[in-house]
Amino acid sequence: MNIRDKLKHANWQLIVAAPIAAGILHICATLAAPYLTAASAYSRLAPALPLNKIQVLHPITPGAEPLPFLSPHARYAMCRFDTANGPVSVTATLPPDPGWMLAVISPQGDNVYAAASTPGRSTPIALVLVPSEDHFLGVTPEARGIARDVQPPVPIAATRGIVVVRGPDKGLAYKKEVEANLGKARCSGRSF
Amino acid sequence: MRHRAVLSHSALTPIHVVLHKVQKRISILLALLGDWSAFIGVVLILGLGTSWYMIDVGTPLTTERQGPWTGWTSAGRADADPYTRAHFARLGTLQLSAEMTLTFVAFTDNEGRRLHSSCDYNVEGREPGASWWSLTVFDDRGELIANPAQRYAFTSQSIAMRPDGTFLVALARDARPGNWLPTGGAGRLALVFTTLDPTTPLLANPDDDQKPLPAIHRVQCR
Repeated sequence: MNIRDKLKHANWQLIVAAPIAAGILHICATLAAPYLTAASAYSRLAPALPLNKIQVLHPITPGAEPLPFLSPHARYAMCRFDTANGPVSVTATLPPDPGWMLAVISPQGDNVYAAASTPGRSTPIALVLVPSEDHFLGVTPEARGIARDVQPPVPIAATRGIVVVRGPDKGLAYKKEVEANLGKARCSGRSF
Repeated sequence: MRHRAVLSHSALTPIHVVLHKVQKRISILLALLGDWSAFIGVVLILGLGTSWYMIDVGTPLTTERQGPWTGWTSAGRADADPYTRAHFARLGTLQLSAEMTLTFVAFTDNEGRRLHSSCDYNVEGREPGASWWSLTVFDDRGELIANPAQRYAFTSQSIAMRPDGTFLVALARDARPGNWLPTGGAGRLALVFTTLDPTTPLLANPDDDQKPLPAIHRVQCR
Protein backbone atom coordinates (compact mmCIF):
# COMPACT_ATOMS: atom_id res chain seq x y z
CA MET A 1 0.00 0.00 0.00
CA ASN A 2 1.54 3.31 -1.02
CA ILE A 3 1.31 6.53 0.91
CA ARG A 4 -1.66 7.78 -1.08
CA ASP A 5 -3.65 4.65 -0.23
CA LYS A 6 -2.62 4.90 3.41
CA LEU A 7 -3.79 8.49 3.54
CA LYS A 8 -7.01 7.51 1.80
CA HIS A 9 -7.72 4.80 4.35
CA ALA A 10 -6.54 6.80 7.37
CA ASN A 11 -9.07 7.50 10.09
CA TRP A 12 -9.17 11.27 9.78
CA GLN A 13 -11.67 11.68 12.55
CA LEU A 14 -9.21 10.17 15.03
CA ILE A 15 -6.25 12.07 13.55
CA VAL A 16 -8.05 15.39 14.01
CA ALA A 17 -9.38 14.41 17.43
CA ALA A 18 -5.94 13.35 18.78
CA PRO A 19 -4.40 16.82 19.22
CA ILE A 20 -7.66 18.20 20.59
CA ALA A 21 -7.88 15.37 23.14
CA ALA A 22 -4.18 15.81 23.92
CA GLY A 23 -4.77 19.52 24.53
CA ILE A 24 -7.64 18.78 26.89
CA LEU A 25 -5.52 16.20 28.74
CA HIS A 26 -2.62 18.70 28.91
CA ILE A 27 -4.85 21.36 30.50
CA CYS A 28 -6.45 18.89 32.94
CA ALA A 29 -3.09 17.40 33.97
CA THR A 30 -1.53 20.83 34.48
CA LEU A 31 -4.43 22.21 36.51
CA ALA A 32 -4.71 19.03 38.58
CA ALA A 33 -0.98 18.71 39.31
CA PRO A 34 -0.89 21.04 42.38
CA TYR A 35 -3.79 19.14 43.94
CA LEU A 36 -2.47 15.66 43.18
CA THR A 37 0.94 16.11 44.79
CA ALA A 38 1.19 14.90 48.37
CA ALA A 39 4.40 16.80 48.99
CA SER A 40 3.41 20.43 48.60
CA ALA A 41 4.94 22.90 51.05
CA TYR A 42 1.62 23.33 52.87
CA SER A 43 0.99 19.59 53.28
CA ARG A 44 4.54 19.15 54.64
CA LEU A 45 4.38 22.06 57.06
CA ALA A 46 0.77 21.96 58.25
CA PRO A 47 0.97 18.87 60.52
CA ALA A 48 3.85 20.37 62.50
CA LEU A 49 2.35 23.83 63.00
CA PRO A 50 -0.25 24.72 65.66
CA LEU A 51 -3.43 26.37 64.44
CA ASN A 52 -3.62 30.17 64.58
CA LYS A 53 -0.43 30.46 66.60
CA ILE A 54 2.99 31.69 65.56
CA GLN A 55 5.89 29.28 65.98
CA VAL A 56 9.56 30.17 65.59
CA LEU A 57 11.26 27.38 63.67
CA HIS A 58 14.67 26.00 64.60
CA PRO A 59 17.62 27.02 62.43
CA ILE A 60 17.71 25.19 59.12
CA THR A 61 20.40 22.51 59.42
CA PRO A 62 21.16 19.32 57.47
CA GLY A 63 18.66 16.61 58.33
CA ALA A 64 16.29 19.13 59.95
CA GLU A 65 14.99 20.94 56.89
CA PRO A 66 11.21 21.22 56.99
CA LEU A 67 11.14 21.79 53.21
CA PRO A 68 13.48 21.22 50.28
CA PHE A 69 15.60 24.15 49.04
CA LEU A 70 14.83 26.18 52.18
CA SER A 71 17.42 28.90 52.75
CA PRO A 72 19.77 28.10 55.65
CA HIS A 73 20.69 31.79 55.84
CA ALA A 74 17.26 32.77 57.11
CA ARG A 75 15.21 32.11 60.24
CA TYR A 76 11.50 31.53 60.00
CA ALA A 77 8.41 31.95 62.15
CA MET A 78 5.23 30.39 60.81
CA CYS A 79 1.56 30.28 61.65
CA ARG A 80 -0.92 27.85 60.12
CA PHE A 81 -4.21 29.68 59.95
CA ASP A 82 -7.78 28.66 59.29
CA THR A 83 -10.48 31.30 59.09
CA ALA A 84 -13.38 28.81 59.09
CA ASN A 85 -14.27 29.78 62.68
CA GLY A 86 -13.68 33.52 62.26
CA PRO A 87 -11.07 36.05 61.19
CA VAL A 88 -7.44 35.66 62.17
CA SER A 89 -5.38 38.65 63.23
CA VAL A 90 -1.72 38.87 62.20
CA THR A 91 0.68 41.50 63.48
CA ALA A 92 4.43 41.83 63.06
CA THR A 93 7.06 44.51 62.91
CA LEU A 94 9.79 44.03 60.37
CA PRO A 95 13.11 45.53 61.55
CA PRO A 96 14.85 48.01 59.26
CA ASP A 97 17.45 45.43 58.12
CA PRO A 98 17.39 43.95 54.62
CA GLY A 99 16.10 40.40 54.35
CA TRP A 100 13.01 40.60 56.58
CA MET A 101 9.73 39.59 54.97
CA LEU A 102 6.20 38.62 55.85
CA ALA A 103 4.09 36.56 53.48
CA VAL A 104 0.65 35.00 53.65
CA ILE A 105 0.82 31.85 51.55
CA SER A 106 -2.17 29.80 50.39
CA PRO A 107 -2.12 25.97 50.38
CA GLN A 108 -1.53 26.18 46.61
CA GLY A 109 1.64 28.24 47.18
CA ASP A 110 0.31 31.65 46.14
CA ASN A 111 1.55 34.67 48.08
CA VAL A 112 -1.79 36.22 48.95
CA TYR A 113 0.06 39.03 50.71
CA ALA A 114 3.77 39.84 50.94
CA ALA A 115 5.72 42.68 52.49
CA ALA A 116 9.44 43.31 52.86
CA SER A 117 11.42 45.41 55.33
CA THR A 118 12.35 48.96 54.45
CA PRO A 119 15.89 50.21 55.09
CA GLY A 120 16.05 52.93 57.73
CA ARG A 121 12.73 52.34 59.48
CA SER A 122 10.70 49.55 60.99
CA THR A 123 7.70 48.25 59.06
CA PRO A 124 4.65 47.53 61.24
CA ILE A 125 2.19 45.13 59.65
CA ALA A 126 -1.37 44.50 60.83
CA LEU A 127 -3.55 42.14 58.83
CA VAL A 128 -6.87 40.49 59.40
CA LEU A 129 -7.35 37.28 57.47
CA VAL A 130 -10.99 36.74 56.57
CA PRO A 131 -12.65 33.77 54.87
CA SER A 132 -12.79 34.05 51.10
CA GLU A 133 -16.37 32.78 51.07
CA ASP A 134 -19.09 35.36 51.56
CA HIS A 135 -20.65 35.10 54.97
CA PHE A 136 -21.52 37.52 57.74
CA LEU A 137 -18.64 38.08 60.15
CA GLY A 138 -20.19 40.59 62.49
CA VAL A 139 -20.59 44.33 62.72
CA THR A 140 -17.49 46.47 62.43
CA PRO A 141 -16.58 48.76 65.39
CA GLU A 142 -17.29 51.76 63.15
CA ALA A 143 -20.79 50.47 62.40
CA ARG A 144 -21.36 50.14 66.16
CA GLY A 145 -20.28 53.75 66.64
CA ILE A 146 -16.94 52.84 68.19
CA ALA A 147 -13.98 54.73 66.79
CA ARG A 148 -10.77 52.75 66.38
CA ASP A 149 -7.75 54.16 68.15
CA VAL A 150 -5.38 52.48 65.73
CA GLN A 151 -5.20 52.19 61.99
CA PRO A 152 -7.55 49.40 60.86
CA PRO A 153 -5.78 46.23 59.76
CA VAL A 154 -5.60 45.29 56.11
CA PRO A 155 -8.24 42.64 55.32
CA ILE A 156 -6.93 39.68 53.31
CA ALA A 157 -9.29 37.04 51.90
CA ALA A 158 -7.79 33.63 52.66
CA THR A 159 -9.49 30.57 54.08
CA ARG A 160 -6.44 28.47 54.92
CA GLY A 161 -2.73 28.87 54.58
CA ILE A 162 0.49 29.74 56.34
CA VAL A 163 1.83 33.09 57.51
CA VAL A 164 5.60 33.18 57.11
CA VAL A 165 7.86 35.73 58.79
CA ARG A 166 11.39 35.49 57.49
CA GLY A 167 14.46 37.10 59.01
CA PRO A 168 18.11 36.93 57.94
CA ASP A 169 20.31 34.56 59.94
CA LYS A 170 23.37 36.74 60.44
CA GLY A 171 25.16 34.36 62.80
CA LEU A 172 25.40 33.62 66.51
CA ALA A 173 25.90 37.25 67.53
CA TYR A 174 22.49 38.20 66.13
CA LYS A 175 20.65 34.94 66.98
CA LYS A 176 18.79 36.23 70.06
CA GLU A 177 17.84 39.50 68.38
CA VAL A 178 16.49 37.74 65.29
CA GLU A 179 14.58 35.17 67.37
CA ALA A 180 13.14 37.94 69.54
CA ASN A 181 11.92 39.83 66.50
CA LEU A 182 10.39 36.66 65.04
CA GLY A 183 8.77 35.86 68.39
CA LYS A 184 7.10 39.28 68.49
CA ALA A 185 4.94 38.34 65.53
CA ARG A 186 1.38 37.45 66.52
CA CYS A 187 -1.26 35.30 64.88
CA SER A 188 -4.55 34.63 66.65
CA GLY A 189 -8.26 34.19 66.09
CA ARG A 190 -10.35 37.29 66.73
CA SER A 191 -13.81 38.76 66.43
CA PHE A 192 -14.48 41.31 63.73
CA MET B 1 -12.98 -10.09 -7.91
CA ARG B 2 -11.97 -11.36 -4.52
CA HIS B 3 -15.54 -10.96 -3.29
CA ARG B 4 -16.86 -13.01 -6.18
CA ALA B 5 -14.28 -15.71 -5.52
CA VAL B 6 -15.36 -15.88 -1.92
CA LEU B 7 -18.99 -16.18 -2.96
CA SER B 8 -18.28 -18.91 -5.39
CA HIS B 9 -16.12 -20.61 -2.79
CA SER B 10 -18.80 -20.22 -0.15
CA ALA B 11 -21.33 -21.86 -2.38
CA LEU B 12 -19.19 -24.94 -2.21
CA THR B 13 -18.21 -24.93 1.48
CA PRO B 14 -20.48 -22.90 3.82
CA ILE B 15 -18.17 -23.45 6.78
CA HIS B 16 -15.49 -21.42 4.98
CA VAL B 17 -17.90 -18.54 4.50
CA VAL B 18 -18.53 -18.40 8.21
CA LEU B 19 -14.82 -18.62 8.94
CA HIS B 20 -14.10 -15.95 6.40
CA LYS B 21 -16.74 -13.65 7.90
CA VAL B 22 -15.33 -14.16 11.37
CA GLN B 23 -11.79 -13.53 10.09
CA LYS B 24 -12.96 -10.39 8.32
CA ARG B 25 -14.74 -9.06 11.39
CA ILE B 26 -11.72 -9.77 13.57
CA SER B 27 -9.45 -7.93 11.15
CA ILE B 28 -11.85 -4.95 11.10
CA LEU B 29 -11.95 -5.00 14.89
CA LEU B 30 -8.17 -5.19 15.08
CA ALA B 31 -7.83 -2.32 12.62
CA LEU B 32 -10.28 -0.31 14.69
CA LEU B 33 -8.51 -1.23 17.93
CA GLY B 34 -5.19 -0.38 16.31
CA ASP B 35 -6.53 3.05 15.41
CA TRP B 36 -7.88 3.57 18.93
CA SER B 37 -4.72 2.35 20.66
CA ALA B 38 -2.65 4.63 18.43
CA PHE B 39 -5.06 7.46 19.26
CA ILE B 40 -4.81 6.82 23.00
CA GLY B 41 -1.03 6.52 22.80
CA VAL B 42 -0.68 9.80 20.91
CA VAL B 43 -3.06 11.59 23.29
CA LEU B 44 -1.22 10.32 26.38
CA ILE B 45 2.25 11.10 25.04
CA LEU B 46 1.30 14.53 23.69
CA GLY B 47 -0.97 15.55 26.56
CA LEU B 48 0.99 14.28 29.54
CA GLY B 49 4.42 14.72 27.92
CA THR B 50 3.95 18.39 27.09
CA SER B 51 2.39 19.02 30.50
CA TRP B 52 5.33 17.34 32.28
CA TYR B 53 7.85 19.29 30.18
CA MET B 54 6.23 22.66 30.81
CA ILE B 55 5.88 21.95 34.55
CA ASP B 56 9.28 20.38 35.13
CA VAL B 57 11.56 22.19 32.68
CA GLY B 58 9.63 25.32 31.80
CA THR B 59 9.61 27.41 28.66
CA PRO B 60 10.52 31.03 27.86
CA LEU B 61 6.89 31.85 28.68
CA THR B 62 7.38 30.89 32.33
CA THR B 63 11.11 31.00 33.00
CA GLU B 64 14.13 33.26 32.58
CA ARG B 65 17.33 31.46 31.66
CA GLN B 66 20.87 32.67 31.74
CA GLY B 67 23.57 30.09 31.19
CA PRO B 68 22.88 27.22 33.60
CA TRP B 69 20.54 29.34 35.74
CA THR B 70 16.76 29.03 35.54
CA GLY B 71 14.32 31.30 37.36
CA TRP B 72 10.53 31.02 37.34
CA THR B 73 9.34 34.57 36.74
CA SER B 74 5.95 34.40 38.44
CA ALA B 75 6.90 32.12 41.34
CA GLY B 76 4.68 32.54 44.38
CA ARG B 77 2.57 35.27 42.81
CA ALA B 78 -1.18 35.21 43.19
CA ASP B 79 -1.50 35.60 39.41
CA ALA B 80 1.04 32.86 38.65
CA ASP B 81 0.43 30.70 35.60
CA PRO B 82 -0.68 27.07 36.16
CA TYR B 83 2.71 25.68 35.09
CA THR B 84 4.56 27.71 37.74
CA ARG B 85 2.04 26.70 40.41
CA ALA B 86 2.33 23.04 39.48
CA HIS B 87 6.14 23.27 39.34
CA PHE B 88 6.50 24.55 42.89
CA ALA B 89 3.71 22.34 44.25
CA ARG B 90 5.58 19.29 42.92
CA LEU B 91 8.90 20.62 44.17
CA GLY B 92 7.38 21.21 47.62
CA THR B 93 9.23 24.46 48.20
CA LEU B 94 8.09 27.51 50.07
CA GLN B 95 8.14 30.12 47.36
CA LEU B 96 8.19 33.75 48.32
CA SER B 97 6.67 36.06 45.75
CA ALA B 98 8.76 36.84 42.68
CA GLU B 99 7.79 40.46 43.33
CA MET B 100 10.00 40.30 46.45
CA THR B 101 12.68 37.77 45.62
CA LEU B 102 14.30 36.32 42.55
CA THR B 103 15.52 32.75 42.79
CA PHE B 104 17.64 31.02 40.18
CA VAL B 105 18.56 27.34 40.30
CA ALA B 106 21.42 25.64 38.44
CA PHE B 107 21.82 21.88 38.09
CA THR B 108 24.62 22.09 35.50
CA ASP B 109 27.80 24.06 34.97
CA ASN B 110 28.23 26.60 32.18
CA GLU B 111 29.26 23.80 29.81
CA GLY B 112 25.99 21.96 30.48
CA ARG B 113 27.52 19.13 32.54
CA ARG B 114 25.60 17.96 35.62
CA LEU B 115 26.97 19.40 38.88
CA HIS B 116 28.42 16.59 40.97
CA SER B 117 30.25 16.41 44.27
CA SER B 118 33.02 14.34 42.71
CA CYS B 119 34.11 17.49 40.83
CA ASP B 120 35.39 20.87 41.99
CA TYR B 121 33.87 24.05 40.61
CA ASN B 122 34.61 27.75 40.60
CA VAL B 123 31.54 29.96 40.87
CA GLU B 124 32.52 33.43 39.77
CA GLY B 125 30.43 36.54 39.50
CA ARG B 126 29.93 40.12 40.49
CA GLU B 127 27.67 41.66 43.07
CA PRO B 128 24.20 42.18 41.59
CA GLY B 129 23.62 45.75 42.71
CA ALA B 130 23.24 46.81 46.30
CA SER B 131 20.58 44.26 47.21
CA TRP B 132 21.00 41.34 49.58
CA TRP B 133 21.78 38.05 47.84
CA SER B 134 22.80 34.51 48.67
CA LEU B 135 24.40 31.51 47.00
CA THR B 136 23.49 28.12 48.51
CA VAL B 137 24.52 24.59 47.62
CA PHE B 138 22.08 21.68 48.05
CA ASP B 139 22.02 18.10 46.89
CA ASP B 140 19.62 17.48 44.02
CA ARG B 141 16.78 16.63 46.46
CA GLY B 142 17.05 20.11 47.95
CA GLU B 143 18.68 19.02 51.21
CA LEU B 144 21.63 20.75 52.80
CA ILE B 145 24.98 18.98 52.68
CA ALA B 146 26.28 18.19 56.16
CA ASN B 147 29.87 19.30 56.73
CA PRO B 148 32.10 19.95 59.77
CA ALA B 149 32.43 23.63 58.86
CA GLN B 150 28.62 23.98 59.00
CA ARG B 151 28.81 26.07 55.88
CA TYR B 152 25.99 25.80 53.38
CA ALA B 153 25.74 29.25 51.80
CA PHE B 154 27.39 32.60 51.22
CA THR B 155 25.44 35.81 51.36
CA SER B 156 26.28 39.36 50.37
CA GLN B 157 27.06 39.88 54.08
CA SER B 158 29.29 36.85 54.60
CA ILE B 159 31.23 36.53 51.34
CA ALA B 160 34.77 37.86 50.88
CA MET B 161 34.64 40.12 47.84
CA ARG B 162 37.55 41.04 45.60
CA PRO B 163 38.49 44.74 45.40
CA ASP B 164 36.96 44.99 41.93
CA GLY B 165 33.52 43.97 43.18
CA THR B 166 33.68 40.37 41.95
CA PHE B 167 33.68 37.17 43.97
CA LEU B 168 34.86 33.60 43.63
CA VAL B 169 33.29 30.68 45.48
CA ALA B 170 35.05 27.32 45.38
CA LEU B 171 32.66 24.38 45.36
CA ALA B 172 34.70 21.39 46.47
CA ARG B 173 34.75 18.34 48.69
CA ASP B 174 37.99 19.35 50.43
CA ALA B 175 38.80 22.68 52.05
CA ARG B 176 39.89 25.54 49.78
CA PRO B 177 41.25 28.97 50.68
CA GLY B 178 38.80 31.86 50.38
CA ASN B 179 35.08 31.33 49.89
CA TRP B 180 34.71 27.56 50.11
CA LEU B 181 31.38 25.71 49.97
CA PRO B 182 31.80 22.06 50.98
CA THR B 183 30.00 19.50 48.80
CA GLY B 184 30.95 16.33 50.75
CA GLY B 185 29.80 13.17 49.07
CA ALA B 186 26.37 14.50 48.19
CA GLY B 187 26.35 13.24 44.61
CA ARG B 188 24.38 15.46 42.26
CA LEU B 189 24.28 19.10 43.32
CA ALA B 190 22.01 22.11 42.91
CA LEU B 191 23.07 25.72 43.31
CA VAL B 192 20.51 28.32 44.28
CA PHE B 193 21.11 32.04 43.80
CA THR B 194 18.60 34.33 45.52
CA THR B 195 18.35 38.09 45.56
CA LEU B 196 15.79 39.97 47.58
CA ASP B 197 15.45 42.83 45.14
CA PRO B 198 13.74 41.78 41.91
CA THR B 199 14.47 45.18 40.41
CA THR B 200 18.13 44.20 40.29
CA PRO B 201 19.06 44.16 36.60
CA LEU B 202 20.10 40.50 36.76
CA LEU B 203 19.05 39.80 33.23
CA ALA B 204 19.35 43.27 31.78
CA ASN B 205 22.28 42.53 29.47
CA PRO B 206 22.33 38.82 28.72
CA ASP B 207 24.91 39.35 25.95
CA ASP B 208 27.17 41.44 28.13
CA ASP B 209 30.56 39.91 28.92
CA GLN B 210 30.10 40.78 32.58
CA LYS B 211 26.98 38.73 33.22
CA PRO B 212 25.50 39.47 36.64
CA LEU B 213 24.58 35.85 37.43
CA PRO B 214 27.66 33.86 38.46
CA ALA B 215 29.38 31.57 35.99
CA ILE B 216 29.97 27.97 37.08
CA HIS B 217 33.12 26.32 35.71
CA ARG B 218 34.39 22.83 36.41
CA VAL B 219 37.96 22.80 37.69
CA GLN B 220 38.64 19.08 38.02
CA CYS B 221 36.99 15.75 38.72
CA ARG B 222 38.23 12.79 40.69
